[in-house]
Amino acid sequence: MTEIKTLADLKKKQEEVKSRIDLRNKAENPEARVQVKVAMATCGIAAGAKKVMEYFVEELEKRNIDAIVTQTGCMGYCFAEPTVEVILPGKEAMVFGYVDNVRADEIIERYIKHGELVDGIIPQNYDTIEHEER
Amino acid sequence: MVDLSMHLMDIVQNSIRANAKTIDILFEEKTKTHTLTFVVNDDGIGIDREMLKKIDDPFFTTRNTRRIGLGVPLLKMTCEQTGGNLEVKSEPEIGASVKAVYRTDHPDCLPLGDIAGTLSLLLKANPEIRFRVLYRLDDDEFRFDSDELKQLGIELDTAEMFFALKEFFAANFEELFRKRPSGSYLC
Repeated sequence: MTEIKTLADLKKKQEEVKSRIDLRNKAENPEARVQVKVAMATCGIAAGAKKVMEYFVEELEKRNIDAIVTQTGCMGYCFAEPTVEVILPGKEAMVFGYVDNVRADEIIERYIKHGELVDGIIPQNYDTIEHEER
Repeated sequence: MVDLSMHLMDIVQNSIRANAKTIDILFEEKTKTHTLTFVVNDDGIGIDREMLKKIDDPFFTTRNTRRIGLGVPLLKMTCEQTGGNLEVKSEPEIGASVKAVYRTDHPDCLPLGDIAGTLSLLLKANPEIRFRVLYRLDDDEFRFDSDELKQLGIELDTAEMFFALKEFFAANFEELFRKRPSGSYLC
């Protein structure tokens, strides 16, 4: 591949991958896609959320998993950053804490592919210190 | 925060939370004055006067998930430690502007970090927001407007174009940074 440096290069690249994107968009409706939301507030960023997000984008693409990777704010689990929320189609959202590349790999291979639970889940009914005081 | 790209990601998240439709990012390096000015302007809901007073208070936040808000205080700290300063201005309903000045002749000046990766992640995660980027290095500059890409039919939220964009930014910044005079602590 030649270097991408101008807008024209980007356009060319878009045309190259267009058929692949269209195929994917037609194949499944958005609700059937896996959603991965990386918490990207101050706490997440400082803990390395950017690296984790790049890893998810790259690996999900490599492993041919149709997923939307996006960002979200702080969920109040600053102690467990980087945190990642994964929503499998038709399932409840699951929040994972202390996600590094190793754990991200585990989340993709075991939870996203096979629905198996892996370490680091932050239960939905988990109370932050903040909630307890109220 | 280890580098400026992390601050960029952080401050832009504030704009996104303020429902901004357009976010302008400016970096300006000036060799003469040894300064790097980093500005984020948005057209979000803005910050009212009471909140503006507390903006650099680490124990103030608009969130209810936690009681501390370190984004702006950390930015203030990293620019002030180089002898620079931070200025936050806002007009409620119109938008907000965060301007941080770093002294690049100070050894504590943060490295830029992965600006290319940060910008492409922001574009991928927020395809509906218009991002305009201007990086000025003395008389040279790099300009970018995400609307131009949309007009070319580029789908920003796809993984394929994320990698292409990252390459695009990296190549352009590399070319621009080659013009940076030696002696600057910035890297």
